[in-house]
Amino acid sequence: MSVALELEGIRKSFDGVVALNDAVFRARPGEVHALLGENGAGKSSLMNVAAGLYAPDAGRIIIGGEAVSLSGPSDARARGIGMVHQHFKLVKPFTIAENILLANRRPSYRGGMQDIRAAIKKQAAELGFDLDPERRVEGLTVAEQQQVEIVKVLVGGVRILILDEPTAVLTDAEAERLLETISGLAASGTAIVLVTHKLHEVKKYADAVTIMRGGKTVTTLDPKQATAAELTELTVGQTAPLPARSQRGNTSTMLNVGALTYARPDGRVMLNGATFFVRAGEIYGIAGVSGNGQAELAETLIGAREPTSGEIFLDGVGNVGNAPATRRAAALAAIPADRYAYALAGGLSIADNFSVASIRSGRYGSLAMIDRAAMRRDAAAAVKEYDVQGVRNVGQKAALLSGGNAQKLVIAREFSREPAVIVAHSPSRGLDARASAAVHESLLAARERGAGVVLISEDLDEVLSLSDRIGVMNKGRIVAEFDRPADRQAIGRAMVDHA
Amino acid sequence: MNDFFINWLASAPVTAVPYALAALGLILSERSGVLNLTAEGLMLVGALAGAGAVLSLHVHPALALIIAMAAASLVSLLFAGLVVVLRVNQVIAGLAVVFFCQGLTGLIGTVAGWQNKQIDSLPSLNIWPLSEIPVIGRIFFMQDPIVYLTIAIFFGVNYVLFRTMLGLRIRSVGENPAAADAAGVSVSLHRIIAIVAGSCLIGLAGGYISVVSVKLWVTGMTGGRGWIAVALVVFARWAPWPALWGALLFGCIEAVIPRIAAAGIAVPQYLMLMTPYLATIAVMVWVGYRQSAVTREPGALGQPHVREERR
Amino acid sequence: MATPVTVEPAPASPHRFGRITLDMRQNLPPWKQAVFLGGSLAIGLVISIVILAFAGISPGELAGELAGVANADSLRNTLVQAAPLILVGLGASLAFRIGFWNLGIEGQMMFGGIFATAVSIAEIGPPSLRLLFMGIAAALGGMFWVLVVLLLKTRFRVNEIIATLLLNYVAMYFLFHLLYGAWQDARSAFPQSTPYKPFERLNDIGFNVNAGLLVAIAGVLVAGWFIHMSRAGFYMRFISSNPGMAKVVGVPIQTVTFWIVAASGACCGLAGYVNVASQEGRLTQSFADGYVFSGVLIAFLARNDPIVVAVVGFLISVLFITGQQLQVFYQIPFTMVQMIEAIIVIAVASSEFFIRHRVRWIR
Repeated sequence: MSVALELEGIRKSFDGVVALNDAVFRARPGEVHALLGENGAGKSSLMNVAAGLYAPDAGRIIIGGEAVSLSGPSDARARGIGMVHQHFKLVKPFTIAENILLANRRPSYRGGMQDIRAAIKKQAAELGFDLDPERRVEGLTVAEQQQVEIVKVLVGGVRILILDEPTAVLTDAEAERLLETISGLAASGTAIVLVTHKLHEVKKYADAVTIMRGGKTVTTLDPKQATAAELTELTVGQTAPLPARSQRGNTSTMLNVGALTYARPDGRVMLNGATFFVRAGEIYGIAGVSGNGQAELAETLIGAREPTSGEIFLDGVGNVGNAPATRRAAALAAIPADRYAYALAGGLSIADNFSVASIRSGRYGSLAMIDRAAMRRDAAAAVKEYDVQGVRNVGQKAALLSGGNAQKLVIAREFSREPAVIVAHSPSRGLDARASAAVHESLLAARERGAGVVLISEDLDEVLSLSDRIGVMNKGRIVAEFDRPADRQAIGRAMVDHA
Repeated sequence: MNDFFINWLASAPVTAVPYALAALGLILSERSGVLNLTAEGLMLVGALAGAGAVLSLHVHPALALIIAMAAASLVSLLFAGLVVVLRVNQVIAGLAVVFFCQGLTGLIGTVAGWQNKQIDSLPSLNIWPLSEIPVIGRIFFMQDPIVYLTIAIFFGVNYVLFRTMLGLRIRSVGENPAAADAAGVSVSLHRIIAIVAGSCLIGLAGGYISVVSVKLWVTGMTGGRGWIAVALVVFARWAPWPALWGALLFGCIEAVIPRIAAAGIAVPQYLMLMTPYLATIAVMVWVGYRQSAVTREPGALGQPHVREERR
Repeated sequence: MATPVTVEPAPASPHRFGRITLDMRQNLPPWKQAVFLGGSLAIGLVISIVILAFAGISPGELAGELAGVANADSLRNTLVQAAPLILVGLGASLAFRIGFWNLGIEGQMMFGGIFATAVSIAEIGPPSLRLLFMGIAAALGGMFWVLVVLLLKTRFRVNEIIATLLLNYVAMYFLFHLLYGAWQDARSAFPQSTPYKPFERLNDIGFNVNAGLLVAIAGVLVAGWFIHMSRAGFYMRFISSNPGMAKVVGVPIQTVTFWIVAASGACCGLAGYVNVASQEGRLTQSFADGYVFSGVLIAFLARNDPIVVAVVGFLISVLFITGQQLQVFYQIPFTMVQMIEAIIVIAVASSEFFIRHRVRWIR
């Protein structure tokens, strides 16, 4: 059988850090080829090389038997390689048709528009998508945006379709549908590369799987011939199980959120009366399809944005109002999803980032004279305690830390003040298995100490494995609550219910 | 009193044209995602080049305006190089270009001896018989050719931005350069095209002031109009037609100042001269008050494009 | 790992020419950084010299003018001129540190001068304290003019770049209004105020040093302490580095921002007062000319560090004095100084690109 895409000995480094080291890959026409690996294993980098976005330092790219050097993404597209990125490459204020026209050049705008509209209708019909070319992308759901991305690539006539973590943002049902569609596409002769870290998808839909670890390709095999345990071991090596959890009694309420609403400046209501409470010694998980208000809820709870109405009561403080400083004083800890948006100042030192949260207490000097020595001393101790790797000295910039270590630094700071309530939003996003496990252990340890933990995550597995109670968020509200052990199917239904 | 209004409104288009053209030029470049503060400087370059061309080369005023456009777009290549290629902070680069232009035009104007020399200019058109209509004839049909050309330019730029592939690409680069890049659109190239094309219009705005409107070159003669144009862009929410209406508003404000004094109304003259600047601030306040955080600002305005952060 | 990135290459040139890629680099040895910086500064100065040569000043004459700065008289002038430049440099640095683009330096200087002169005209306070009162009034004047903008920005989201620049024109016409009207010296045909009394002026204190310079140096020390040692200075870094994060960890953003912006305006107001009280001894119509971009330039070159501001301020003062002499002896307009300043900024800003990126050509 012929080979559609072949990558040989690909190397790529960024400022001396090796991202890809002798990576090898081979996909055949008509197959769904999974590329499996942890975050940071180099899957996306390798596919970005194939899609012409990165120029490799060494190695060969062979498309349809011909060795090529790609001058850029458009060159790759011209050779029949299309990629749907994890973060969609869509121009939000443009219509679907405009977005697709942008990526599929036509000589004239008017003629091109007519041409593209027809092509969208045809392609969407074939795939069973319901897309109106005149709708603006900013009004579409995540699943619809992904459909636009796929149609965009297919309209250009690709022979090799790369999908980077396509199911990460979808519900189970949506993911299922998408993967069925993709299998159908493969059956018609397209080579599909499915970049993923989900084993069950690989087992069920892939014809071949290539496993990556630390920038290298480990092996390529037939997933039907391997057990899930074997695949796991190939991807991550060993992982330790989570520590045992103690039973909790009926404890006092630490956090009470009442009828929280938030409307975006453009009028879109993101929180629509979210109400829940969290007890001491409890992890309250919030599950939901991304975009149902979880991000806004997290940002409101940590004080990054002000709610339109509603109340946030903290044990012993009462309503915290809008000043984040009040929450800090009440020992609320924030572990936001986007570390570099709300948790760390990347350009400042580790010591600065560590000590800023406690400086008001006077621990690090007076108003007139700050005590840098104390900051460095405490930061160094915390770095050691929380095993933050890659720190030569605490004066180095926080941006130099890897994702997992940056997250450990955030946790070290937030936990240094013995928090009573912890708000964690996708705390393991972008972390490898080991770092995720460390984060989860920290949350469980806080639970054991008697803190109330709110865990907001789009990763249902994470919510299920850690939470004592689970609230399902749908259209800005908590629509259902489940006690541990929760029924996965029931949660899934509540997530997509159009009640 | 009737004469006062007719004279006033008839002179408003002449004061409005520089605002309109400069704001349109800025819109063109900002739609590509480049925060452009250079208007004050590039208008001076256009004004000096236009005046110099008439005074030293004795060319026809129309040709002088073309020279003004060429000069401004040439200098804008410096700005484009700084912000697009070298990714210098767009505020710093914009300010540096403005002050560079202020210094350079002051120097050249003085050394070449172009200060305060009368310029032979374009005659006004007289669109007979429409110009004979009372009131309306004076205001709408007896302007100079550039006034009418400006309206045509607005139609043209609007068409290019919203009805051509080039416009689609320029807007995509301004809204989401990463998406445009992935779609095979060269971000750098389209930003440079937008900056240079926009600067042509800014140069024309400057040339119009010296060659057609004031008919003189004076050091620093734009007097902050470039900054007002920057504000107009925000007011117009990066859309061409509102910018034209905004420009007319400022044209009316500026045109009324000399007329009030001429009409013998006693108002402190220096306080009167503040009006355009205070009006601009008032308009900005109104914009901020009205549009509760929703702007149609291009999504990537002010951000240099850096491909694909790797995590 | 940091955030290494590849930057979009110049318009793709397929196959034959390979492609150009840019990599971010984290650490370049300091001596290499100095080479890039020095090289670009040299290029900028050469360009300036060439332009001046076209304007009729040969490099020899220029060298003569520069050498002239070293004589005692010019040195005194340079030190006198350095004081307002250092103060505007401080004003710009403080504001830029929290990402507030205060480009209203000239307007704030004018209001500093106007407030100080008002104290002089109204004869507020005894003669022994008059200087102090004038200084305080000047600081308040500058503060007033910049806080208007802060109010516009926080209440109505008016962009401060545009607002500060436009208010420079408003301040200028207000100054003209006074100098061509109520405040015009009856004994003078020029638009200028009545001269200050001797005890209202900043005088020399010996060794060619004017009292104004002491004000500037005091400003440098206070700003240095504020930025590097006070808790507010610690907060400031978070506000500029990551405002979203600063808010979440409880940094009092509004309070700190208010006082920094106020301090920035106060520095500029003081600069206006130091300028009129040490040089002309009266309010004139052009005493603030050319300071906006000088402030930006000094802050930019000094990387917003007060101590470095003092050094750069002195160097720009040399440029100012040279520019004034060229204006007198060669009729070169003073805007030439701004042009050279802009060329220096462009050169240094460009060098940062090569310090931060590695350009590679891959075939």
